[in-house]
Amino acid sequence: MTAMTKERLAAFVDGELTPEEAAQVVLHLADHPDDQALVDEMMAANLALQRAFGAPMAEPVPPAILATLGMGQVVPLRRRAVPLWGAVLGAGLAAAAAFVAMLPGAAPGLVVGPVAEGSALHQVLTARASGDAAVLGDGSTLAVLATMPASGGWCREVERLAEGLTEVALACTEGGVWRVDVVLAEGLSPAADGFMPASGEGAAALTPWLDRRGAGSVLTPDQERAALAAGWR
Amino acid sequence: MSADLQFRKDLVDLVPRLRRFAYSLCGSMPDADDLVQAACERALKSADQFQPGTRMEGWMFRIVQNLWLDQRRRARVRGDQVDPEDIGLSDQGRGASLPQDRLMLEQTRAAMATLPEAQRAVLALVAIEGQSYRDAAETLGVPVGTVMSRLARARETLLPLLGLSKGPRQ
Repeated sequence: MTAMTKERLAAFVDGELTPEEAAQVVLHLADHPDDQALVDEMMAANLALQRAFGAPMAEPVPPAILATLGMGQVVPLRRRAVPLWGAVLGAGLAAAAAFVAMLPGAAPGLVVGPVAEGSALHQVLTARASGDAAVLGDGSTLAVLATMPASGGWCREVERLAEGLTEVALACTEGGVWRVDVVLAEGLSPAADGFMPASGEGAAALTPWLDRRGAGSVLTPDQERAALAAGWR
Repeated sequence: MSADLQFRKDLVDLVPRLRRFAYSLCGSMPDADDLVQAACERALKSADQFQPGTRMEGWMFRIVQNLWLDQRRRARVRGDQVDPEDIGLSDQGRGASLPQDRLMLEQTRAAMATLPEAQRAVLALVAIEGQSYRDAAETLGVPVGTVMSRLARARETLLPLLGLSKGPRQ
């Protein structure tokens, strides 16, 4: 076998080789752990880059750009890992929000919008520390995963575990009122309408929404206790 | 459907990818949106230069990249300073308490921002946009060999910054 160059390994990672050439590289890698490590690193870097800059793929086209293109009424569906149902801050998202009502199973779970006082979610958000799970009437559990300071107050990542379904939501205070910005679901089959669940991303997929809220670092348990005790003022 | 409407619809379909490409070049979402907006305006003005049936994607990526390079050149002439806060090079110590995954993504964005413009563009097209070397070469107006060498240099810089590299290899 000819010497394996870094360029050829890169071409393998970037999908530039024919199936035969790629098979040769795979055979080579089996006996060359250093080259295998380099291939792993390049693949990991590609994945990290795709995730680091992937937020726009899960967002609707900004209204200003739509207006520039004279297409203000169009919100194209994208077959990507996007929120199953959800709305983010800002205008022009009515079409995304409309899925809330259409999707089965939304009712007992987490939904985008203001959090009703007295609801289980409200109780968990206002009174429970991260990791302190509450069991709901339908057998699912609800727990805060992390709390962050945000530009308008506080944000908390919430997880609801039900049979065959995990929901991760971001709830933030806005003028002292808790509001769910987005709900991501895992464990469902791809929906027929072109949207797919945000599989495998978990809480990490909330990054774009955390960024929009200007969320900072996760509170330590002591900091969180203090914020709880102060009623999230 | 009129050709003009079809053209604008095709552009709308491309916007998510244009925003991702612009984000990877600028390192900031507001700047990326300004860039994509400007690129769309340019595309509408130059619509007659687009050949229907050819790759709109490559044409638009080229417009985005050229506008970005123009902006960078103008900023250099004006002596604008890049604020490290804007591109995530300084995290004011926040990184220490960020969940590991978010920290990695922030590191990745910061590492990308350290790359020279030409390397950043080629890495964005190949690693993020998934373009072939040939398409990336066409978009950037350079030979395929240049794409490969820029890609190699970009990765030599990037992998250690991401903590993914065990060190230089011979």
